[in-house]
Amino acid sequence: MNKWSLLLLIISCWTAVGAVISGTRQGHGDSDTPMPDRVNRIVSLAPNITEILFAIGLRDEIAGVTLDSDYPPDAAAKRKVGTFWQPDIEAVVAARPDLVITLGFEQQRNLAERLRRIGYKNLIVNIEKVSDLFKAIERIGDVTGGRQQASELTNRIRTDLQRLTARIASEPKVRVLWVVQREPLRVAGRDTFINEMIELAGGENAIGPTLHKYPPIGSEQVVACNAEVIIEPTMGRQDIDNQQNGAMQYWSKFKRLPAVANRRIYVIDGDTVSRLGPRLYEAAEAIARCLRPHIFEN
Amino acid sequence: MKQLLTLKRLIARIGLALVVLAAVMGVCSLIGTEEVSLKAVFAGPGTRTTVNPDYDIFIRFRLPRIILAGLVGAALACAGVVFQVILRNPLADPYILGISSGAGLGVIIAVISGLNWTLWGRSPIAVFAFAGALGTVWLVWFIGRLTGKFHVTGLLLAGVVVNAFFSALMMFLTSVTKSDQVYSTIFWLMGNITEGDFLVLWIGAGCVVGGIVALFYLGPQLNALSFGADDARSMGVNVARTRTIAFGIAAGITAVAVSLSGLIGFVGLVVPHGVRLIFGPDHRQLLPLSGVTGAAFLIVADTLARIIVAPAQLPVGVVTAIVGGPFFLILLIKYSRKVSWLT
Repeated sequence: MNKWSLLLLIISCWTAVGAVISGTRQGHGDSDTPMPDRVNRIVSLAPNITEILFAIGLRDEIAGVTLDSDYPPDAAAKRKVGTFWQPDIEAVVAARPDLVITLGFEQQRNLAERLRRIGYKNLIVNIEKVSDLFKAIERIGDVTGGRQQASELTNRIRTDLQRLTARIASEPKVRVLWVVQREPLRVAGRDTFINEMIELAGGENAIGPTLHKYPPIGSEQVVACNAEVIIEPTMGRQDIDNQQNGAMQYWSKFKRLPAVANRRIYVIDGDTVSRLGPRLYEAAEAIARCLRPHIFEN
Repeated sequence: MKQLLTLKRLIARIGLALVVLAAVMGVCSLIGTEEVSLKAVFAGPGTRTTVNPDYDIFIRFRLPRIILAGLVGAALACAGVVFQVILRNPLADPYILGISSGAGLGVIIAVISGLNWTLWGRSPIAVFAFAGALGTVWLVWFIGRLTGKFHVTGLLLAGVVVNAFFSALMMFLTSVTKSDQVYSTIFWLMGNITEGDFLVLWIGAGCVVGGIVALFYLGPQLNALSFGADDARSMGVNVARTRTIAFGIAAGITAVAVSLSGLIGFVGLVVPHGVRLIFGPDHRQLLPLSGVTGAAFLIVADTLARIIVAPAQLPVGVVTAIVGGPFFLILLIKYSRKVSWLT
């Protein structure tokens, strides 16, 4: 037998042995056991999940949050388990969770899958639209034993939103351009929760249906969109005044745009509006204030 | 080379390198964002109700991750050696013939199509990366053959163009897709090592170690090839056959590495050069030592990636370039006067 056949033989045997060992190890720890009755240690892997947990009164049950979970301020004191995009699985396990809640993004689903394989319980919620938010809050309430608080929370948000809608119902819709990023210019499209918030606040998206959720647009589309109001949420911990000045300067080249001509360019706190969570009403109100300052003045 | 390479010396050097590798693995397994007590680890996995986090972290996450980093490092370094000698180009690395963009394109297609299954515990991303890598290499090899018998330049050019073309396709797909999920591919493209489960590590180890042994068999022929195809032929080496086999194996282990961990740059370029500068260009020695060094290097880089910005994680590709770059330049300045092949 020459050395090549010997090598092939060894590799084949090695693979076969691996398959056999792995076959005998099946059935350990990866079965889907039901959720525990009472959850005592929860790790949240997204800032809006953290907000939901706090809002339904699970403050003491939170065993770990991501670095970007900065609201409510109490979240800062919790153990950190990496970032939303790059969670640290060792830190998650070290928090000894009996439930890990993630969003449906690839990175997060992947982590959830790896944890589930060794027997950790996890819950994946999708929060992409406003209706998803209500479902997610109720689902989290169900699983953590906080059903009552969860439905109180969703009811409160719904009532607040209805009151807001009633207040602005008689007003004509305001055309809004929602700027995600200035260079290159990207805005919020129709298929986003931002679009829903704009509509809740009595506005309409100045950009029509697009292929992308957050489409990059050119100057022509800016001129054509006829926006009456431009809103720029802050990114991270930027200084609002600073960004406001920058925005005024940037947009001054579109003089004909009604929003620019009437100086209706608003920089608002990105944390409240760029995160779909229990502060939905506060976000919608913040937008409504930009659209119709006169109603909210007194 | 100052001294001749004897079998005894070769075994001693490989043995020593393996000892160093084992030490590196030992030290790195004790470093991490979470303090792990070995005593608690030896207490076993715990029961259903009382989990043992130390055991889970050490045995189920950290150790598999270190082994995976070692396998990927070894595969990339050895593939780098082979590509450098076959293409007779010191700038060659395992990705030079389009493997990276082919794998990247596979990943983007997998993410966009939203597939959701697993094949032997691997996600569609890994499977598509593997297929994309091998498919691209085959394409480049095929085009290279069409350009003529001594197709090194043709091969290189085909590789560069296919690389550019597939990168453009990736950009195109990224910009027309609706899905936000493409953002998650960024981390894959920067190299992302996570723990692999048992079967993946086992089969990965089989492929990589087997591939390195096979390349080691080809060591003498590769030595002859490094003098050029004509000289090699006059020494009685079947050039076309050696090139094809070495190329196929190197591409195969690179594809395995890429499907395990995404695109980790720099290892395949720097490690072979570093080892060659220190120990000389004999491939019987260069291949195993590059493999072991590549493994140790990537394990250290990944450990740094785990802890530098803890509890967040850095993509390991960032660390390999930041750590490897200056280190390689020092080696280059220190040793280049001694060796002739650089001039």
